[in-house]
Amino acid sequence: MSSAYNGPILGLSEMSFHYPGDRLIVDKLSFSIGNGEFIGLLGANGSGKSTILKLASGMLRPTSGTIKLWDKPLSTYRNKDRAKLLCYFPQHLDVNVPFTVREIVGMGLYPYDIPPQMTVDEAMEMVGLGEKAGTYVTNLSGGERRRVFIAMTLIQGAGLLLLDEPLANLDIRYQIEFLRLLRELQRKKGISIVMALHDINLALQFEKVMLIKDGSILGIGSPDTVLSGEMIKRAFDVNIEVRKSDRGDAYITHEKWV
Amino acid sequence: MNIKFIIFIGAAVMIMLLALFVGPRTINPFGMTDTEREILFNIRLPRVVVAMLMGMALGASGAILQGVLRNPLADPYILGISSGASLAAAVGLLSGFYFFGSLSVPLTAFIGAVLVSLLVGAFGWKRGGLWPERLLLAGIGLNFLFSAVLMLLLSVSSDEGLRRAVLWMFGDLSMADWSLIPTASAFVVLGLGIAFARSKALNALILGDEFAHSLGFAVQRERLLMFSAMALMTSASVSLGGTIGFIGLLMPHIARFLLGADNRVLVPASAIAGGAFLCLADLIGRSIMPPMELPSGTVTAIIGAPYFLYLLRRKDVLSV
Repeated sequence: MSSAYNGPILGLSEMSFHYPGDRLIVDKLSFSIGNGEFIGLLGANGSGKSTILKLASGMLRPTSGTIKLWDKPLSTYRNKDRAKLLCYFPQHLDVNVPFTVREIVGMGLYPYDIPPQMTVDEAMEMVGLGEKAGTYVTNLSGGERRRVFIAMTLIQGAGLLLLDEPLANLDIRYQIEFLRLLRELQRKKGISIVMALHDINLALQFEKVMLIKDGSILGIGSPDTVLSGEMIKRAFDVNIEVRKSDRGDAYITHEKWV
Repeated sequence: MNIKFIIFIGAAVMIMLLALFVGPRTINPFGMTDTEREILFNIRLPRVVVAMLMGMALGASGAILQGVLRNPLADPYILGISSGASLAAAVGLLSGFYFFGSLSVPLTAFIGAVLVSLLVGAFGWKRGGLWPERLLLAGIGLNFLFSAVLMLLLSVSSDEGLRRAVLWMFGDLSMADWSLIPTASAFVVLGLGIAFARSKALNALILGDEFAHSLGFAVQRERLLMFSAMALMTSASVSLGGTIGFIGLLMPHIARFLLGADNRVLVPASAIAGGAFLCLADLIGRSIMPPMELPSGTVTAIIGAPYFLYLLRRKDVLSV
């Protein structure tokens, strides 16, 4: 991209969306993602998180408003050019064809005529699947499959990752490892990331979070301000208390279910 | 190129040569009589070429459709294309459409197949694109409708020509000659060309629309291209020799089992396997109890079904 451009990587302005004849899912939403930002996207089920990410990735066209990727409207990019800059990771992974791990990870190179630096082997190693290169994905567990697609996303090498609940189905070890990996990519390569997630305790460690309710932004900023008990009550309609551990880390306790 | 793929092609060529020279009358390629030369060039060769073309079209169409519909049990006939083509041929014959002589049945069948493809496409179209579930449901619905109307026509008709035509629609290569081959091969080559050129997109579509989009493919355009390629090839195949079952369903599974699921290999491999398999089925059908010939469609099903059931036992291959 041109070095003269210093604006946000992705800018959404007054963006609204509804399916024909249906209710408004996203309501005049405006926000931007700066270079190297790592934003956690939180909200209740049906609050519009996935729709926002699909709009931002160009999968859905907004009913009104504009989306700019770098300095150009998102819709003006050629598909392949967009794929080199922006990568979208969907919530539901469903593959019933016996591709091998190596084959799927290698698909991350499809947008390129000349492959970028990372090799398929490196990407598989990064997610701990180096030993399973020749295994059919249909024989892997839910969490392992997710890691295969994470490796594909890494090799695609886009500067902006829009991830829709990539931590689902991962055990706690791989949740933390994946977050560390993304953090490293963000720091070393300046990648920008927006990640939808449900675990508020993990979200409390983000530098920046965005809380969504009914397709609008309830709050955006540091978790200290956005993820207060009161804000979480408004977003999720559940009683939560945010506490500090002896080490000073924030964590939540929620109302009892027994 | 992968050694397995070369062996695969070698086996297909062997079967093709076998189908050319072996049969009720075995021909020695190095010492042919005039009669044998006549048999080879006017009967066997067009028949083998037709079998290859039909099998290739059906095998590749099956691979495409299983990818586009993301359903390992899909085959080109599930969309009602064959029953629509049979119905069109039957209606054409009943209304006295003999304008093109011996080409009338294949021609009406082809027109029927294309019309049904368009109809399935129209039903599968919503919000500016083709949707797999809608295509599948529309195809299944139309398939039942056309089969029912065809049965109705058959049960009230006493026209002998119609009965013959319907038998032909059930998969018969004994009438194969050179007349349809040039046009049909153009369609098959075009369909194969599109499918091969867009095989990466087909891989991506199997991962789901979201990943395909993220990897830089225009999802709806790719799906439309694939659907068109499949419709071209299936229509050409139906017009060549009627409806031959099991190839579209089975060949992609065999090719996947032997060579893997990557469509850059799978599409051509399913085509080659389909061509070779139909040649073999036809060879068996005409050699097993001469001078009687078994319809190739029956032979493909009798060989294909047990193998398919064997594959079904291997969960990692079929994964359904």
